[in-house]
Amino acid sequence: MLRYFTLNTTVETLSFVIAFVCLARDASPVWRRMILFLFITCVTEMLGIHIKRLYLADRVHVHPNVWLYNILLIFQAGFISSMFLLILNKYTNGKLIIISGLALLGVLYVFELLSHGIFAYNNITNTLMSVLFVLYSYYYYYCLLKNDKYVNLTFSPDFWWIAGALLFYFGRTACNVFFDILSLLKPDIVITYPIYKVLNIILYSYWSYSFMCRKWLISTSKVQFQ
Amino acid sequence: MQKMADINLESSIPIITLIFLIAPAFVLLYVLVQNRKKKKHIEEKTQMKVIFDAELIKTQMEIQEQTMQTIGADLHDNIGQLLSLTSLTLNSIELDCTDKARQKIDAAIELNLKSIKEMRLLGRLLHGEQLLKLGLEEAIRSEVTWIEKSGRFVVVYDIDGEKCGDSNADKDLILFRITQEILNNIIKHSQANEINIKLGYLDTGIRLQIIDNGTGFNIGDLPEAQKGMGLKNIQKRAEIVGGEVFIQSTPGEGTFIDIFIPYP
Repeated sequence: MLRYFTLNTTVETLSFVIAFVCLARDASPVWRRMILFLFITCVTEMLGIHIKRLYLADRVHVHPNVWLYNILLIFQAGFISSMFLLILNKYTNGKLIIISGLALLGVLYVFELLSHGIFAYNNITNTLMSVLFVLYSYYYYYCLLKNDKYVNLTFSPDFWWIAGALLFYFGRTACNVFFDILSLLKPDIVITYPIYKVLNIILYSYWSYSFMCRKWLISTSKVQFQ
Repeated sequence: MQKMADINLESSIPIITLIFLIAPAFVLLYVLVQNRKKKKHIEEKTQMKVIFDAELIKTQMEIQEQTMQTIGADLHDNIGQLLSLTSLTLNSIELDCTDKARQKIDAAIELNLKSIKEMRLLGRLLHGEQLLKLGLEEAIRSEVTWIEKSGRFVVVYDIDGEKCGDSNADKDLILFRITQEILNNIIKHSQANEINIKLGYLDTGIRLQIIDNGTGFNIGDLPEAQKGMGLKNIQKRAEIVGGEVFIQSTPGEGTFIDIFIPYP
């Protein structure tokens, strides 16, 4: 059992537990759905480790775990886009840009699947998704600065959730872009994996903090309404 | 050798990650700094609003105080005198002498009518604050009527242009109080006998010009305390509503005061 708990899965599981504790009774269904998303992520990661083991043991009959991450891409695009929509809607009508982004990702995803099948990773979809999330994040910060109302960012769940997403997806896009150069540093081990690990820690730490802020805010409003 | 290379590579991973994260981290930092500035700006705005509200209340109270002072003085000097005279006239009537009694009764009636007229004017003054609801023009006109009544001054009051758009009650109040303060200064210190008041409506605001033919003064020679009481007060009030004040005065040649306030 312990072999399924790598650095990545541990961080993800911890974040899932924090999300469960903080968001289980959250008023917003979109925030509550983060628990489900993190659960799917944890299960996918652990299944990924299991399939990788099977594949390493029998490379003839077992496919690599890439297809699993192709499926995870759909959930990532859906759940994270819905979070961006919820947050952006506080400042502007984000429906059009989020739906257009999802449509673009959908078309590219199907195109990639048709061109190389499910057993090869949808790299272009993944990169485009990361770029879109980075742009959404920048757009959110632009709206935040343009807005006259002051928000205490230290305890703002929206701010920290998007900060995590921005750092993670920006770092991942940069990694994807410089993948070839980074691979040259040590051809036998892909150097991007350790960088992904660092990015994962950043992402889930920021998200966990944003969940805690969310929980803290809800308790405050309960006190105020009493 | 291979191990050394591995260690070097491992130590370079955080650096590579850091390089990748410089741009978004800088954006986050920028947002945080700007947000802090926004907080400071909002706090400053709130503080200015508090100061503005306090100044408005003070202005309202000053207008009330001035109204009460005028009423007190008028009751004592004018209506009181008229009523005393009426009483004396009625007391001196001798009923035996019908013709003289008739004359005295007529005089008493005339005095009484004058008192009623004065009371009516006083009644209008009591509604001084209400006058602002009719507009700045009317409020200033009531002040002019009151000054003219004393018989000491010839007042010319001109209105240039027409007000277009909505009124701003706060600015009207401030401008009315400034006018009162300037007129008070003229009455108390200038020894003038002519006052020209011009209220002009411009596209961007209101211009109020008050000229008197009094003794004038040298602005630089005024003691600091006196400046604080009058001119600085006018300046401060105008600035609080984003306005400007220009004062020109030469000893022996009167004073010219020009106030511009953006409106509404």
